[in-house]
Amino acid sequence: MRRFRRAVVRALSETAEGVRIAASNLVGARLRSFLTTLGIVIGVMTVIAIVAIIQGLNQSFEAQVATLGAHTVYVSKFAWIAGGPAEWWAMRNRKDIGRKELEAVRREALHATAIAPMAMARGTVTRAGLQVDNVQLIGTNAEYLATGSGSVLAGRFLAETDVELARNAAVLGADVVDRLFPGVEPDQVVGQRVTLNGRPYTVVGTIARRGQLLGINMDANAILPYTRFQRDFGGKRSLSIAVTAAPEDLTALEDELVGTLRRVRQVPPDKKDDFSLNRQEQFLRLYRQLTGALYGVAIGVGLITLVVGGIGIMNIMLVSVTERTREIGVRRALGARRRTILLQFLIESSIVAALGGAVGTALGLGIAQVIALVTPLAAAATPSAVLLGIGFSAGVGLLFGSWPAWRAARLDPVEALRYE
Amino acid sequence: MSDSASLIVVEELHRHYVVGGEEVRALDGVSFTIDRGEFVAIVGQSGSGKSTLMNLLGCLDTPTRGTYRLNGSDVEHLTDDALADLRNREIGFVFQTFQLLPRATALANVELPLVYRGVSRRERRARAEAALEAVGLTHRLHHRPNELSGGQRQRVAIARALVGEPSILLADEPTGNLDSATGEEIVRLFEELNERGHTIILVTHEPHLAARCPRAIKLSDGRVVGDGAGSEVALVGARVVHA
Repeated sequence: MRRFRRAVVRALSETAEGVRIAASNLVGARLRSFLTTLGIVIGVMTVIAIVAIIQGLNQSFEAQVATLGAHTVYVSKFAWIAGGPAEWWAMRNRKDIGRKELEAVRREALHATAIAPMAMARGTVTRAGLQVDNVQLIGTNAEYLATGSGSVLAGRFLAETDVELARNAAVLGADVVDRLFPGVEPDQVVGQRVTLNGRPYTVVGTIARRGQLLGINMDANAILPYTRFQRDFGGKRSLSIAVTAAPEDLTALEDELVGTLRRVRQVPPDKKDDFSLNRQEQFLRLYRQLTGALYGVAIGVGLITLVVGGIGIMNIMLVSVTERTREIGVRRALGARRRTILLQFLIESSIVAALGGAVGTALGLGIAQVIALVTPLAAAATPSAVLLGIGFSAGVGLLFGSWPAWRAARLDPVEALRYE
Repeated sequence: MSDSASLIVVEELHRHYVVGGEEVRALDGVSFTIDRGEFVAIVGQSGSGKSTLMNLLGCLDTPTRGTYRLNGSDVEHLTDDALADLRNREIGFVFQTFQLLPRATALANVELPLVYRGVSRRERRARAEAALEAVGLTHRLHHRPNELSGGQRQRVAIARALVGEPSILLADEPTGNLDSATGEEIVRLFEELNERGHTIILVTHEPHLAARCPRAIKLSDGRVVGDGAGSEVALVGARVVHA
């Protein structure tokens, strides 16, 4: 027991001594320590900045994509993500999706919890001399909100009767409200008259601000019954149909939709679908592919700089071992074992590297914050990135410090004491 | 069996080096014993083998042939780790150039052997202070070597050698880098320590210094050429300046 206790105390005091020596050498040779760690600092800084920006992008992208319903399938003529111009032209030649398909889906999609048609057009909204151009006009039904993520701010959303009677009722997005009714309380907007492309409508409600989706403003829109939309802005436009289901029913829903649409659109069994089922997930998947590649590049760059930094540390540690040969001899004479000397130098190199990593992490996060401030990019600092930055550089210090440390430990005490 | 009672038993010790393809016999069959409490000078001119002998006695090196028993341990069979532990426990080194760690305080320098022994921080501190007191340096605990005079540095080194209560103090030309007055103080300190019971081996090339020791072992060309009272052995063949 006593021996064991001795060994523990010895290991602890030797480690503490190692840390003390490392600290005193770091402080004693500040400029050199700084230059030694510069490689690590730059490497970690680069990686942390890139990772912080990618993670920031991830967060903002996922928040944006969440404005599309997570569990909604959008049936459209076009696929959201096209492979190339040829594919796009092929999709352009597809038959439009219309009422026939909508009614079939309503009849047959047993797993659906909400079904909303969507007819789109660009338009101008005016009121009492004020005008907002380039507004997205969306013709839909009462279930539209249930398929996405918007919520009503004032008034009400479209009702079934609005659709049945094709009423001139409009629900306005936040930007349209702000520009047509500057300074007006949201509640006062309800009941006001506006024109959409010159036709009279009554505002029945407004939508709370939604932000942007992939650079598209989700607040510059006006929502009206699709029945009215077809009368006022043309019934020949292709519809999209948003169909929502419980998360566990999504696959079954897609199967149902494919079956229904192929039958209604009379697609021969040997032909491919002449419609597309789009989901939010597709964006996420494509996005992850892109950022995955970015991550790969960041990690590659980081590894290369860390190796360069590691070689810098190895170089300095070799110099340090040579300079301190006599000291090593003295320590050996006083009873330090080889592994004690090894430990001492490993502690020193990993502390130097970890400090470099800490500084690099701080700088990297700073750079990411600056980029986030001056550009539209977002930045996020996760604790794991910080830990990884510091831990990884300490590992580099350990790895590249091991050869110098081994050389120090192998020194012959007699030779070392005599070294001039 | 007087051997087992002796602190140091050296028998037929050889240490050969190969330099430039040629074998150099730095030590060529050296035998002697040293008992506890002795004050022995190992004297000889440079190249006589005394440094090699000191390295062997200090367990820094192992012999090519022969046996060396220190306080019951057969040194020639020990592993590198065991040698390190033995040095830590049994040997207190005092070097010509002091060999203090420049960035550490006197106290930290003296504590060092105890760090490698696994002595707790508090006990280390207390023992180091006591050792510094024993060499008369109570007022210099927190000075660094470059803030101390040569004599004070050597006192710190002696305190460091004493702190682990080793069986032997092994001093290699301890006065070589000091002026004669300070050197004299250090020699007196050794004499005092010997009176208090410490075994001291003093390696020197100076006959005068060796002559002051109760016993001297004289080396020449790797062999013992004299072993007896310091005043007799050391000055034989040396230029003696009578006052």
